[in-house]
Amino acid sequence: MTTAKRRYDKSGHLRFGILLALAALVATAPRAAQTPSGAQALQAACGACHRPDGPGRLARISAVRKTPEGWVMTIFRMQHVHGLKLSDAQRDALVRYLADTQGLAPSEAKPARFALERRPNVPDLELPGNLQTMCARCHSAARIALQRRDAGEWLKNVNWHLAQWPTIEYQQNARDRHWWRTASTVVPAELGKLFPLHTESWRIWQHHKAVDLGGRWLVHGHRPGRGDYWGTADITRGGDGDYRAAYRLTDEHGTATDGASHAIVYTGYEWRGTAKLGTLDTHEVFAASADGSTLSGRWFIADHPEIGADWTAVRAATQPQIVAVSPDSIRIGSRARIVVFGSHLGGKISFGPGTHARLIARSADRLEIEVAVDSAAHPGYRTVRVGRASDARSIALYDRVDRLEVTPAYAIARLGGGRIDPVSAQFDAVAYEDIAAADGKTRALRLGSLPVAWSVAPFNEEAVRDRDVDYAGHIDAFGQFMPAGAGPNPQRKFSADNTGNLFVVATLKAQAHPAASAKPVVGKAHLIVTVQRWNTPPIY
Amino acid sequence: MKAQEFAIFGLFLSLGAAAFGATKHDYIVTGSKPDHLFVVDPAKRTIASEFKIPGANDFVGTIVPSPGGRIAYVLVNKMESIAGIDLTTGKEVFRADLSTPGERVKCIFAFDVTPDGKELIVYELPVKLGLSEYKVEDTRFAVFDTRAGLHAEPVREFPAPRRVHTILARKDGKSFFAIGFDLYEYDIATGKRLGMRGIRHWDYPGHSIPDLLAFWPVSEPTGIFASPVYSTVKPPSGHGAPVAKTALMTLDLATGKLAFHDFETTSALIFSAVMSPTKPEAFGVYSQLSKIDTGNYTLARRVDLAHTYYAVLVSTDGKEVYTAGAMCDIGIFDAETLAEKGDVRLTGCTDQSITSPRLIRR
Ligand code: HEC
Ligand code: HEC
Repeated sequence: MTTAKRRYDKSGHLRFGILLALAALVATAPRAAQTPSGAQALQAACGACHRPDGPGRLARISAVRKTPEGWVMTIFRMQHVHGLKLSDAQRDALVRYLADTQGLAPSEAKPARFALERRPNVPDLELPGNLQTMCARCHSAARIALQRRDAGEWLKNVNWHLAQWPTIEYQQNARDRHWWRTASTVVPAELGKLFPLHTESWRIWQHHKAVDLGGRWLVHGHRPGRGDYWGTADITRGGDGDYRAAYRLTDEHGTATDGASHAIVYTGYEWRGTAKLGTLDTHEVFAASADGSTLSGRWFIADHPEIGADWTAVRAATQPQIVAVSPDSIRIGSRARIVVFGSHLGGKISFGPGTHARLIARSADRLEIEVAVDSAAHPGYRTVRVGRASDARSIALYDRVDRLEVTPAYAIARLGGGRIDPVSAQFDAVAYEDIAAADGKTRALRLGSLPVAWSVAPFNEEAVRDRDVDYAGHIDAFGQFMPAGAGPNPQRKFSADNTGNLFVVATLKAQAHPAASAKPVVGKAHLIVTVQRWNTPPIY
Repeated sequence: MKAQEFAIFGLFLSLGAAAFGATKHDYIVTGSKPDHLFVVDPAKRTIASEFKIPGANDFVGTIVPSPGGRIAYVLVNKMESIAGIDLTTGKEVFRADLSTPGERVKCIFAFDVTPDGKELIVYELPVKLGLSEYKVEDTRFAVFDTRAGLHAEPVREFPAPRRVHTILARKDGKSFFAIGFDLYEYDIATGKRLGMRGIRHWDYPGHSIPDLLAFWPVSEPTGIFASPVYSTVKPPSGHGAPVAKTALMTLDLATGKLAFHDFETTSALIFSAVMSPTKPEAFGVYSQLSKIDTGNYTLARRVDLAHTYYAVLVSTDGKEVYTAGAMCDIGIFDAETLAEKGDVRLTGCTDQSITSPRLIRR
């Protein structure tokens, strides 16, 4: 079996597009559980190896619950390791059936959504006790926390691990202990308690009536390194149960982007879309709220999940409503153009004490306002009001920038080469003013993204000596670090790879500086540029 | 064994006999993916012969030469088979496929041949393959008759502890050592455990539990196995972070004497080591080549290498050190100065990886 064959689809994701052809196969009833065809298809595809172990049950399969991605990964293994033959359409239908009937309740998936959303460089979940070292050193703890099974079935999963990777016991952080003894006793017992098959939340969720997500939605989000965006989504539900969405988005620099998505909602709330946003091919991992009033998560570039943006959509209301205000802050003593995005925006506009607002342009869902801030205004947050609508997030007035916080504070980028794309690292810089409060403490005033210049610097002496800055890659104007090619570099000591240990530095650009402050305002993050990862599973 | 070896030897004499000279000297046997076995003549800096191992399945692991250096037993087929290759003819003369239908068996690099060449002792990790479930079974030692030909089956099996990484037969041929959490010794005939000495449970005052992982069962030419061992000690002041120490473990396969001696505060990673046959010295390798003074247990010399190597050998006369494993060449160094003297490139090699290059004398 070649490495190439064992890799997931280049996107590392379900090929949702295939489902177009599947309309006839997939049940149109609201819950796939009620359709015998799903159970029959499962029996036909899996029954040769997974024998019934009770009425309506198949060994192993009936004993687990997983996310759609979890089912994709398991079935992928059945195909590529155990020789299961399935068309993509059959596989996608099985995933849909299994995620609907043996999925996770929203509250169960919630703590580890970051993994489904493929957010790069976020801290993993912490499993208690020695579970972390035992089980979360090859993959995330999230991969485990996104499954449910009882102790006996966890034990089978652990058996398969050691059977499949017999060197586990010899690896670092395993050979220092009686790995198998712990893995076959303590681990399944603890996991069975933490992540059991039968839960009250799943019992209740199975009776939840799925909400039709069709209608008009107002969208806003933030794309690290590029800023805020907002717009509308028109969602319709097809006869096949799939959703189609049309997007009209604008970013804070005024660039308009149209998009279209085709999505499936698994387990009654897990929105998985394949979309085109302008020229980008993207995937969407959103969750609908139980009442169907919000749809939130993250979209990312299909081939580069590390690049993406937050996404929140709320149903367009019949009441006045502010959905987004951009930018997040205005310097005291200056004038700025602010966009207020929402619906039914009319009436008096106010940005609070010390400000003067003047409407410049108005469209159905968007106001463009010039705001002048008095030199004597006090720094702090102001509530934005338009008629009866007020924005909970408000806007900050500041007189200086004290610091920049670069996120993620610690990131990993991976070298590319051969068949494997590099994994870049995307940084974002958020500005703060530290205000002395009456109680003697300082209060951080969040100013949002301000224009910054990006650069890299050696992290330590070793990085200076090995000239990591020259070899490891480069950072662009949008805070995206692109690593260099992989493989031994004869110019480096020991023909080392182009790995590196760097600071990523954001420096506030002059226009955001108040004239008085001369010292450059910088923020730093730590970046490790390391070797390739050989496969890109849907859940790390 | 001799009968079969001879028959095949005779048959293919014309093909490969040229490889070995009339007078005895050192050769290095090494392997590489996908299925290569090389016999290198280090004195001539050339490849003396090169064979393809049948059914290697893109994996060439531990190499164990037969006592006269006539046959190399090579772990192949994703650690599931041991192929005995006649080093004169390149013919496969022995094969043990460890797995059977329904049971997948891997050997994690631990096997050895008895000093009389008659038996192989193999450490096995079996797994039951059910229809929809894999089940880990207890580890065991399996003994094979080296005359069994191409369909060898175990003649004896004994229970074994988990996490064993090295097997070394004692020189008297009666017992063997298994290195894992600790050092165990077993009777080859009965499988009875004869003794256990501490590794994890070592008695090294002031030292933490050590870390030892050796996949290179090299004891030639001295008959003493050596390996780096890592542990920590409390700082001299008694406060602050523990200090990492590298010790040399030695196991004398004739006397059974086991010893550990720190020789440096860890300043470089060493993968494997070998004892000098002529001086109180040992050599260790990874990104650097190190010489250890085993009289005083100090680091005597260290040089940077062009790239990493996993394995190290020393010539029978003690004058040259050979670095091998990892990539696709064998480095040749002066044992005195550690200066590079030459390099043999392995043709058609993708990488030597974890294979254990061995020194034979023919
Ligand atoms: C050719 C035989 C074969 C077929 C067909 C097969 N499986 Fe499996 N399945 C296995 C084996 C063997 C294991 C145990 C090893 C493993 O987990 O990979 C397994 C394990 C599993 C597990 C437990 C793994 C875990 O830890 O979660 C699930 C769930 C599963 N299969 C689902 C399926 C589904 C769903 C299908 C049909 C779409 C299927 N299998 C078809 C052989 C098969
Ligand atoms: C040596 C590395 C390693 C360790 C240690 C490890 N895993 Fe995994 N695990 C993997 C790999 C690789 C996969 C994905 C295999 C595949 O689907 O092809 C995986 C998959 C899984 C899955 C998903 C299986 C499925 O079919 O849905 C679960 C659950 C899991 N691991 C749990 C655990 C637990 C519990 C432990 C601790 C006992 C553990 N892992 C320790 C490597 C490891």
